[in-house]
Amino acid sequence: MSTLPSLSTSSRNTSFPFPSIYSFPPFFTRQPNSQTWTSQLSLWNSLILAYCRYNRIWRIDLNTAIEWDLFNNRDINRSLKLETCKEVLDSMVMKGDAEWVSGSGSHVSKNTSAIIYWRRPEEWANIIADWIDSTGQKNTILTLYEIAEGDLSLSQDFRGIDPTILRKALDVLIRRGQAQIMKSADGEEAGVKFFGSQ
Amino acid sequence: MTMRRGVGLAAFDNHQRTAQQYSDLGSTILQTHISELTDQLLTFQAALKKFAQSHADEIRSDPVFRSEFVKMCSAIGVDPLASSSANKKGSFWAELLGSDVNDFFFELAVRIIEICRRARDVNGGLMLVEDVKGRINSVPGRPPVSQEDIVRAVNTLAPLGHGFGIVRLANKDFIRSVPQELSRDQAVAIEATQALGYISVPILRDNLAWETARCIAVLDDLVASGLVWVDEQARPKEYWTPSWIRQ
Repeated sequence: MSTLPSLSTSSRNTSFPFPSIYSFPPFFTRQPNSQTWTSQLSLWNSLILAYCRYNRIWRIDLNTAIEWDLFNNRDINRSLKLETCKEVLDSMVMKGDAEWVSGSGSHVSKNTSAIIYWRRPEEWANIIADWIDSTGQKNTILTLYEIAEGDLSLSQDFRGIDPTILRKALDVLIRRGQAQIMKSADGEEAGVKFFGSQ
Repeated sequence: MTMRRGVGLAAFDNHQRTAQQYSDLGSTILQTHISELTDQLLTFQAALKKFAQSHADEIRSDPVFRSEFVKMCSAIGVDPLASSSANKKGSFWAELLGSDVNDFFFELAVRIIEICRRARDVNGGLMLVEDVKGRINSVPGRPPVSQEDIVRAVNTLAPLGHGFGIVRLANKDFIRSVPQELSRDQAVAIEATQALGYISVPILRDNLAWETARCIAVLDDLVASGLVWVDEQARPKEYWTPSWIRQ
């Protein structure tokens, strides 16, 4: 089961190239003018998606993520407040770029953890279907773990994909009739069978 | 012609006749000059037309050449960008110099409008010409445009009532793409932002000798107009110009 990768295990050698807006001090203040705020939301949205894509981050847990360099620019000594970060994520959820999920941990706090769709489930579905085709895995049964962590997916973009996101991608394929959940004799989920893309 | 000064009525007659002769001569000279000038002008027009046609490509692709060409036209009192419906002379030249010059600036104006529209939420409708130029020239496959080109294109928009105009602040050209013009205080305050990228109540108070109430009023004004971004993590609060966001 893949866990949220910490920043130190990011697969990249160089750190994320922040855009110039990141060095603009007011970017970290929730703007009072509503039109300015609209543009600020849009900029944060793009930045968060790009950052997560670059670092292969699948979900953001507000309480821990608020410490990341994404929300803290030490060079200019500016930080995004937690409430503002939540507003930004709310707006991303409205746009379909993120989804609130129940956080891990003993207490289920509402809306503090979100999966980030730097690719939408439909995109992941297409990528996985293409991969099944090109690796000749049609009509085989694969477990979710094998898809995300198996040898054949080593160089794939969905390597280490968050299981929740993978599920959603598979749901798309199932709806399209390109995949089917296989159950073992005792009714337990055994894996997914792919029929390949049409 | 004798210039003898006579006396009495005869002298007056003489003076009149002399004056008339001078006047006649003057008219003749003037007439000659006019017809000579007309000939010269017609020759020149023909030469200019030929020049414009044979250099159409350069006019379109080279900002320096284009600039010199437009300056030359202006020097002889011709506006190559005059609206074709305005006056006969204007439309003649627009036709003479070819649709190329007109098209170029028209297309450029359209691109400028689009860029300003997209950035309006970020900068409240005030954008550095330099930034617009950067965005236009970052698109590959098109010949580069100059700041002068942009200013000219915007000036063709002004009379059309789009709310577009050039504003010069702190020695830089800005494009205003909203109908609201800057008040005096707003303009001065924005000029002040160009030094450090931001202003604050103390900065305005100390540098412009404004009372605190006036400083607060203009800053609130600028925020309401979307012309500045607020930095609340600075003490005292800072008001930043979005033109400081590097492209």
